[in-house]
Amino acid sequence: MAAKPSTTTTAKATYSPIDPTRKTRPPIFSGSDVDWLRPDSRGFHQCRPAFFRTGAVNSASGSAYAEFGNTKVIVSVFGPRESKKAMMYSNIGRLNCNVSHTTFATPIRGQGSDHKDFSSMLHKALEGAIILETFPKTTVDVFALVLESGGSIRFLVKQVDELDTLWFAVGDLPVVISCASVALADAGIMMYDLVASVSVSCLGKNLLIDPVLEEESYQDGSLMIACMPSRYEVTQLTVTGEWSTPHFNEAMQLCLDASAKLGKIMRSCLKEAASDEQE
Amino acid sequence: MGLPNASEDLSSEMEVDAFRRLFPLRYFERHLAESIRPDARPLSRARDTTISMGAVASADGSALAKIGSTTMLAAIKMEVMTPSLESPDEGCVSIDFHMPPICSPLVRPGRPAEAAPVVAKQLSDTISRHELSLVGGKAAWMVYLDIYCLDADGALFDAALLSAVAAFSNLQIPTVSLDDGKIVMLPEEQKEENSEKEPVNKEKRKLTLGGIPFSLTCILHKNYILADPTSEEESIMETLVTVVLDSSNQLVSLYKPGGAVLAYTSAVQDCIALTRQRVKELHQILEEAISGMEID
Repeated sequence: MAAKPSTTTTAKATYSPIDPTRKTRPPIFSGSDVDWLRPDSRGFHQCRPAFFRTGAVNSASGSAYAEFGNTKVIVSVFGPRESKKAMMYSNIGRLNCNVSHTTFATPIRGQGSDHKDFSSMLHKALEGAIILETFPKTTVDVFALVLESGGSIRFLVKQVDELDTLWFAVGDLPVVISCASVALADAGIMMYDLVASVSVSCLGKNLLIDPVLEEESYQDGSLMIACMPSRYEVTQLTVTGEWSTPHFNEAMQLCLDASAKLGKIMRSCLKEAASDEQE
Repeated sequence: MGLPNASEDLSSEMEVDAFRRLFPLRYFERHLAESIRPDARPLSRARDTTISMGAVASADGSALAKIGSTTMLAAIKMEVMTPSLESPDEGCVSIDFHMPPICSPLVRPGRPAEAAPVVAKQLSDTISRHELSLVGGKAAWMVYLDIYCLDADGALFDAALLSAVAAFSNLQIPTVSLDDGKIVMLPEEQKEENSEKEPVNKEKRKLTLGGIPFSLTCILHKNYILADPTSEEESIMETLVTVVLDSSNQLVSLYKPGGAVLAYTSAVQDCIALTRQRVKELHQILEEAISGMEID
């Protein structure tokens, strides 16, 4: 009935009305143009304000909601529970991750849904931090839903069409990883430490920490670190694009510092939730 | 009370939680006999309900509805389509109901939840087509309504419908104009000035729902009627009745998808009476959510 398109048109037959006069920002700022403002008027080395809250989903064993600027993510953790029947015997626990996007996560409907690699990236980022020996023969499921992708929406509507490369960007993955480790802690899954994740974009001579999608579309290189701040151990490091060694070292240090700070925020969120429970 | 003595005796010895898990039906029946439910609600009371508007910045209209811990996020995106030859002046509403794996331990990725298509069908039957034409025969609105279940704890249809009607009342249709046969969005700054491009839809910035539909799901068990069940109650007592009334108390639809309990007319009438009360509550909650938006 009303739910189905009355014509035989497919989804492609509809389009978003776009403002044709909207200007795209000139590509990269040249040379030493440091006055360039980031779309959300942050400093180059300034992260978006981070917000975490546990217990977002009641029916899960543990869950967390994270909001970094416009990026909004919910992660639910189920288990440890029975592994799938077809699975082989394993004397350590299994971790199963899945990341999905809502159809309205990106400015154009339904474009954010094909991040198949996000699930395996999340799995690899968390695997090293979880003490899998504590739940033998069972599976812990970590499911993430990206409610909204970060980025300057008005701009992206136009750009997304033209830039296929945009989808190689790490996008919301750092937020998903950090949020997932808070959810795991909420579920009482044993971990060596929380996993905090931060990414850096390299634009010309400048390093931009915690980039939004718009910035990622201009980047020359991207670096993402997932690490355990109190142990000073890295669980995942992804580097793509063009990097010079000094730049790379600087970016690495920047990321580690930022994740130490992020780790503190995550910890204080968990402490707050625990002290609320005691009262 | 008609309960076998064995379980009576057991219940006095056993811990409450163990009894709840081992004999869920007895556990509930003992509560029902006292006219109360395990979460301390009277039988006919719905859970606390909240609506917050404009939860999704990237959508044209959105709302988050919570009934107890059941949470639904609805977002509307407007796109332009060419209407069909048979109905050149009509747009289209496409409704998708999603249950991502985060919402419930029963949903696994790759396998869609059983409940999802049922709820989607009910929703599309309830929300009817609207006047959505832009340029007769050339362009009309295609309304994509996506509802995501973020937390599933019973009465999914009620929460989904509530979030949907709230999202519709939050909807701001973008001002557009015609440019080379294509519909384009009018930039913000040109709206006041008398530009060469005339907006096609100057007046129609809001969708008007005729009568706003509200619903209440009840469980029938023996002679008891339980309004607004949780997922635990739904899993134990399986006969559901969903009544949809619009804001002027006219019956929109009534579902009783089978179940072990056969409903007498009186039970159905009781359900409708309960729904009538609930519609008043929901209407007020929605009004408050809308007026809360306007103050901001």
